[in-house]
Amino acid sequence: MKLHTEMRVNRITDEVWEIPISEKSGMLVPARIYATPTILQSMDAGVFEQVTNVACLPGIRRYALCMPDGHWGYGFPIGGVAAFDIPTGIISPGGVGYDVNCGMRLMRTNLTQKDVQPLLERLMTELFRRVPAGVGASGSVRLDRSSFEDVMVRGARWCIENGYGWPQDLEAMEERGCIAVADPSKVSDQAISRGINQLGTLGSGNHYLEVQVVSTDRVFDQETASAWGITGHDQIVVMVHCGSRGFGHQVASDYLKVFEKAMRRYGISVKDQQLACAPFTSVEGQDYFSAMNCAANTAFANRQVITHQIREAFAAVFGRPAEELGMELVYDVAHNIAKVERYPEGDLVVHRKGSTRALGPGSPELPPRYRTTGQPVICGGSMETGSYLLAGTQGAMRDTFASTMHGSGRTMSRAQAKKTIRGEQVQKQMKQRGILVKAVSMSGLAEEAGFAYKDISEVVETVDRAGITKKVAELRPIGNIKG
Amino acid sequence: MSHSFRFLDDIATADLAFDASGDSLQELFHGATCAVIEAMADPSTVGSTWRKSVERTEEDPAELLFDWLSDLVYWKDADGVVFSTFKLTITCGDDGSWHLKGELCGESVNGLVQVLRNDVKGITKHMYQVRQEGMRWNARVVVDV
Repeated sequence: MKLHTEMRVNRITDEVWEIPISEKSGMLVPARIYATPTILQSMDAGVFEQVTNVACLPGIRRYALCMPDGHWGYGFPIGGVAAFDIPTGIISPGGVGYDVNCGMRLMRTNLTQKDVQPLLERLMTELFRRVPAGVGASGSVRLDRSSFEDVMVRGARWCIENGYGWPQDLEAMEERGCIAVADPSKVSDQAISRGINQLGTLGSGNHYLEVQVVSTDRVFDQETASAWGITGHDQIVVMVHCGSRGFGHQVASDYLKVFEKAMRRYGISVKDQQLACAPFTSVEGQDYFSAMNCAANTAFANRQVITHQIREAFAAVFGRPAEELGMELVYDVAHNIAKVERYPEGDLVVHRKGSTRALGPGSPELPPRYRTTGQPVICGGSMETGSYLLAGTQGAMRDTFASTMHGSGRTMSRAQAKKTIRGEQVQKQMKQRGILVKAVSMSGLAEEAGFAYKDISEVVETVDRAGITKKVAELRPIGNIKG
Repeated sequence: MSHSFRFLDDIATADLAFDASGDSLQELFHGATCAVIEAMADPSTVGSTWRKSVERTEEDPAELLFDWLSDLVYWKDADGVVFSTFKLTITCGDDGSWHLKGELCGESVNGLVQVLRNDVKGITKHMYQVRQEGMRWNARVVVDV
């Protein structure tokens, strides 16, 4: 099998591959990649290089992991998972990603495609008007510094308390939309200036808002789907993919600089400047953890305000309150984050970068409504090929620090995609296929063409067969908003 | 005196990468600044009602370029603007440090009249390099979008 690496890659199972510690000087644990042979062969050289670099970081436990949607990232690969000891391990912004708590949210409705199709153009126009997207977009929520600090500390709770959502929304969010250790005094003025006007904005790049359909024949686990309010029968659902915007990026950039200096003081050397890190228990490590949690909470709040705007848009177009339309959250997951979680080894700092938490049935951390099914896992595909709803498993809790894939992963660069097709062509082709797209930037739309991404179905099959999540339903797009 | 930049096809799959070069450090800065401005919006469609002066001093020219390009990203978000033109001068002080004096021009984001492109979130250190090769200054920059 021809791979984009000279390193030895051993087959553990048909979906799990291991690079032993003998393959790179300094590796403390093996690296494990979840992939089919086809996906493994398509993975870029960066994945192999970066996942083995991560395996060299102090305090890492068991394995450095990469999920099947993995590709080159900054420091850690996208799709990377690594867990570190608290007393001896590190925390690294490169293991979280710049867009702190970039994540996915899924909302159900009582509507069917038959209800929505005649009003789709109007609905997408209304959503496009109410959910600001693209370069420099400001949100509708006006905050002073004190209120923004409340958002940093209280996350989605702030939104509910201020009329942007329903109390039961909190039960359907990872960490109930609010991570406890968040200290605004650890956030720079620059980060606050960048973030204070961005609450309720989508951003650009691969971020989107999508109206999707769940067909009965694409529901793979009726019982679990039903428990989450997914009925099939061409049911309409709404997916949101976005994060902490410029605020989270500034937090990451600020602390990368802090960590570059701190590493010298703590005698830590890394294989890549973007893996800059500090001991988790150090002052610098704790400051970053507190600031990162501020960004994570802001991202939960961002998706919550967007949810509010989506409900308002649906209510305006269909002339009925969102409650009557059954617009309950299915779930909200973070896929760029570091959290302290408990495993047999004890409390560990689990970094997920382009990877989703996937708690299995029985996990005490889940609210009662998810305790028998496992946690919903929302995976976004390209805007042409659709997305998936999965469920967490005991296998993930045992094998991957309760982690799984997050999306389909790119295979073509943005520059190459733009040379291949124009945004107007993408928009026209998608309309012919029944997908209405509204975009702020046509060049940005070209960059997101479906052919620039892996086939999400194969990625999903991999994690399903590996037993680290199970398929629940496929979600087919009919309307998409991009920045 | 000349500067140039080109976006790279085969680097930074999920983001944007560019090479910039110039006959002097100042020209290199010009090329890299043009690249970041072009990544955000077509500058020919952006007015000049917003202005901001920026001064920075660094010992390392690579850090100076990194901080200056990061300033563009910061003002884009903090003031909600995209950029049309800029002026900058780079001088070397007696102590060997490099000093940048720049002025950015642009206007508030308005998708109705401007051709908007990427919401650049930051300049990264991935593969980042600034180096002098013969009479030419070159830089490679990966931009997170």
